[in-house]
Amino acid sequence: MADLSIAVRHIGDVVVILPAGFINAHTVREFEGALESQVQQGRYKILLNCKDLNYISSAGLGAIMGLIETVRDNDGDILLCELQENVFAIFDTLGFTQLYRVFSEEAQALAAVAPERKA
Amino acid sequence: MDHAQFRLIIPSQTRYLNLVTGLAKRASLVAGLDEATAAKVSIAVDEAVTNVILHAYRGEGEHSVELELRFTEKALEVHIWHTGQGIHSDQLVLPDPKEYIKHPRKGGLGLLLMSRFMDEVQFRADAATGRNECCLIKKIS
Repeated sequence: MADLSIAVRHIGDVVVILPAGFINAHTVREFEGALESQVQQGRYKILLNCKDLNYISSAGLGAIMGLIETVRDNDGDILLCELQENVFAIFDTLGFTQLYRVFSEEAQALAAVAPERKA
Repeated sequence: MDHAQFRLIIPSQTRYLNLVTGLAKRASLVAGLDEATAAKVSIAVDEAVTNVILHAYRGEGEHSVELELRFTEKALEVHIWHTGQGIHSDQLVLPDPKEYIKHPRKGGLGLLLMSRFMDEVQFRADAATGRNECCLIKKIS
């Protein structure tokens, strides 16, 4: 089994990225590439559904941090949902739960960005 | 009682990170730590080994990283040795998470995770052997 696989879904103008497996210094380029690809296509509302993400190291956090300003400068955001306990612990320990909106369910996250969608 | 210990030597390549972190997690459970704590230990070990590969060895994959797991009655110790560029504990400056959030940037969080998730993080140089060591300790409560 690969260390990391990434699925992408589009729901309206929100792109849902589902990383499955492990994001570390070895796999981070793949994760970073998936994020950058969406931003380059002008998709700035990004939801990271982490239900199948077993693990993320600081390399993965850096990939998210590296894009957050660009995304928000374009009226978008990066949201997180369905984090496993240890993944949440990493975000929370570093204070990232203050920087990103975190939801327990994907539907809640989509509802949160829905008002931001252009009519 | 003798303390159990064993060693693993890996090439300085990130493809082996998953192997090492899986081992660290399993070792934590064997030592008596709970699942959540074991996950934190594995993250700390990931960060330490990544630092060695990417910074101490500057990403050069032909070197070796040696890990030793020591099971004592009071703690799990993870010792990581390398012959690359060393750092010393008194040279470390951990980023302030509040400042980091105000001024986001890539990098700088690995050491912070290590220090938050472990009870002790030590860096040492052995002049006799020319090796540098990072020692991570998690106490068993």
